[in-house]
Amino acid sequence: MPGSSRNRVRNVFEPIEPLRVAKLWLERFGMGIEAFSGLQFFKKANSIWAISEGDLPRYSYESLGMRIMSCKDRPWKPTTAALQVLGRHASKNLVHLERAEALLFLQGASQSLPEYCNPDACQPGYVVVFYRGDALGCGLYSHGMLVSQIPKERRMESRSEEQL
Amino acid sequence: MDLMAPLDRYREIVPDFQAFRAVQSLPLYSSARINTLKIKREALLGRLEEAGVPYQCFSWYPLGLKLDAASPGKLLENLLGNIHIQEELSMAPPLVLDPRPGEMVLDLCASPGSKTTQISQMMEDRGLVVANEPSLARVAALRSNCERLGAMNVAITRYDGRMFPRGSFDRVLVDAPCSSEGRERRGPGTLTRCNAVRSRELHVLQVGLLKSALRLAKPGGVVVYSTCTYAPEENELVVQEALGHDDQSGQSGCPGFRLEKVVLPGLLECPGITEWEGRSLSPDMNRTARYYPHLNDTGGFYIARIVKE
Repeated sequence: MPGSSRNRVRNVFEPIEPLRVAKLWLERFGMGIEAFSGLQFFKKANSIWAISEGDLPRYSYESLGMRIMSCKDRPWKPTTAALQVLGRHASKNLVHLERAEALLFLQGASQSLPEYCNPDACQPGYVVVFYRGDALGCGLYSHGMLVSQIPKERRMESRSEEQL
Repeated sequence: MDLMAPLDRYREIVPDFQAFRAVQSLPLYSSARINTLKIKREALLGRLEEAGVPYQCFSWYPLGLKLDAASPGKLLENLLGNIHIQEELSMAPPLVLDPRPGEMVLDLCASPGSKTTQISQMMEDRGLVVANEPSLARVAALRSNCERLGAMNVAITRYDGRMFPRGSFDRVLVDAPCSSEGRERRGPGTLTRCNAVRSRELHVLQVGLLKSALRLAKPGGVVVYSTCTYAPEENELVVQEALGHDDQSGQSGCPGFRLEKVVLPGLLECPGITEWEGRSLSPDMNRTARYYPHLNDTGGFYIARIVKE
């Protein structure tokens, strides 16, 4: 978690209070606690994971549910997988792209934030990027540029325009 | 060289053997499962129509689609996790397992997670799916698919499935490593690596995995064993041995376990065999199901459903 970076990093899943997670998402994305209902949270190394509520048998786990954020650097970074699931609850630091720009974003490219996106509405940092109401994933908005954070294996090929 | 020769030892057990042999060289269409964790079926079908992607729904499973796309994996709907590219019959074992929301389910050989995520969606993200995969390299694909599809109730472990620690699961799926003869239409040349010796080697591992699953199911729990191969050594003979059937007398009814009939309405199955190379197997093996590519225009699969009493 931000603010606790001097704590030792342990390679085990440790439960973490949902409110601590929700507070960060509220601050950055205006997301209410209801976005996280039915989930429990764990911290391992520098990442936070969310999994459906319920008993977890005592096994040695490789992963628990979904890795939703990385706290390795500041500011913390949401994962694209998490934004695709939770992004619809966001109310600020959103970018709604049109077709051509959405395609560039899905290809992993950097681009100037289009005029129609109203740059004044975004604070520099990580943003949720939408196309036609779908949360596509995580972007980094900085100095007027929108830098795609889509992981390599989930990018579109540059010649696949006809498929969007 | 006759590439289909490894199939010839099944001449006596496969109906219409010539058609079975001939269909192997016909490529399989692409298919996908609609991921209801992220989108409703009607909404997804509407999007495919809008994008001009021709599709055809399976007759036996409303969430399965045949897709007419050159690179279905690169479709926007796949990148967004609204669909998952998955072979048609690979969608069958989770339906036979029949997991319910809130249950505790173990997928013992999980990667790349097609069946894991199908189980998760059948459970509506409630309860827990423990997805086990010993290979670190294969865990990456499993994790990636679970995250892309938004499966929030999946926890991944990396045990040797034969030595998975104690547990009490409502349902256990053993989609075992196998010689994959049933994948020839997907990956031509698969058959050239198949023979009885290899199947007998895999048999040892498969029996170990199924015995482990039987141990890990709770009383009343369900264990499903599946492979994508035709070899009896990897199918009926595995179930027979794991259940401890007396193979000499052909006596049925292993105490503590019951084989249940596998039927998926809309798919043509053949009953599991009860005799192989002069050896009688338990008559209950006819409750297991063999799926052949020429009967359903699919790949090949074998599925057994066992209830722990």
